[in-house]
Amino acid sequence: MDTFMRRFGTFVFVALMQILFLNRISLFGYVTPLFYIWLIVRFDSYMKRTSMLLWAFSLGLVMDMFSGTPGLNAASATLLAMVQPGIVKMFVQTERYEQLFPSSATMGGRPFAGYLLLMTVLHHTTYFLLRSIPLGDWSVLVLKVIFSTLLTFIFMIVAERLTSSSGTKR
Amino acid sequence: MRSLLDYLVKYSYVFLFILLEILSLVLLFGFNDRQKLAFVTSANSVSGSIYELFSNVDVYFNLRRENTLLVEENARLRSMLYELTDSQTVDSARNMSRDGVIAARVIDNSVRKDDNYMTVNKGSNDGVGKGMGVYNSTGVIGVIMASGKSYSVVMPILNGNTSISSKIKGTDNFGFLEWSGGDPYTAQLKDVPYHSNVEVGDTVVTTGFSSVFPENITIGTVADVQRLSNGYTLKILVSLAVDMSDLGWVYIHSKTVDPEIIDLQKQLK
Repeated sequence: MDTFMRRFGTFVFVALMQILFLNRISLFGYVTPLFYIWLIVRFDSYMKRTSMLLWAFSLGLVMDMFSGTPGLNAASATLLAMVQPGIVKMFVQTERYEQLFPSSATMGGRPFAGYLLLMTVLHHTTYFLLRSIPLGDWSVLVLKVIFSTLLTFIFMIVAERLTSSSGTKR
Repeated sequence: MRSLLDYLVKYSYVFLFILLEILSLVLLFGFNDRQKLAFVTSANSVSGSIYELFSNVDVYFNLRRENTLLVEENARLRSMLYELTDSQTVDSARNMSRDGVIAARVIDNSVRKDDNYMTVNKGSNDGVGKGMGVYNSTGVIGVIMASGKSYSVVMPILNGNTSISSKIKGTDNFGFLEWSGGDPYTAQLKDVPYHSNVEVGDTVVTTGFSSVFPENITIGTVADVQRLSNGYTLKILVSLAVDMSDLGWVYIHSKTVDPEIIDLQKQLK
């Protein structure tokens, strides 16, 4: 129950952060950080796959309610939660995966950064692909993915620094 | 049989994944009817009330400016009232009485996306419905796209799907005002005939052809006129009268259309 409440706290935190602050950022007209995937990034290896999917789907749905894009965030967040365990395994040795809470402390700085980057690229690619159907201009799509990924990545690095230095494990 | 069941339980997350993705994609591509949108967008009461809570704080910082605008508007209305008593005929006065105005406050807004939306704090309970025009004392803002009970979503000029019937003030040259992303202060007036006498600085206003807006509400001023190579129409850049990034109170135009007109339109379809 304790982990549920903690996760729920993170859920509310990333949701409010995204709705009240980040959704209003829009560099050059189309670069918006989608920091809310932080919740999915932090899923630990103790979690059941089904509960991962349900958490991600509900978060995506809440995001959609506030940005007028029904299904868009839900689809991309659910996909990310589906592949998350596999991606974590790519960046750590197998024997350590048994009990892992993804962070720079447990994975090492570089692997964790790589993990964050790959997760963000995957999510943003599906997000912007689905968003821009019917596909029009490929170059704009690629630019959106690249710059939004960079921005989200920076926000997640900051969040990692803040959570690890204060000692609280979000 | 037992092992098959074990197998299904072990991989139940795969089925859940497929189910959730199908659900999301149905939501994403199934909402062609914009009315249904109210349910999943900020027109629903949960997200509407959260936005309202936070915009209640914003409101105080704009009080002085809002007051000035209201006073100016009052003055203009007073002068119109005098004109009305002086010169208007009984018939046009009867027409005006069918036009209703609902005041609402913008509680969420965006201007820098490809397709912008805003939320206002009045909904179907207040008489707001799909297709009603939204404007304020400086000019046209957009059209109601969907209404929940207490909130509505507005599709502003700054949305790729918006098209507003507009004309050059004082003439009958009309076209459609559209916006194709980018600069939130400029929109394009399309389909104005090639021969029209349009000059930079002319005022662009609503036509009043539809029941969406009353006639002669300011939209903006002509910033540039380009003659298209097709030789039929002009492309006119309009700098918008309203600063979309800075909105407080707005008016929603609700007009009860004469049943005779609706009957005629039905016969045509």
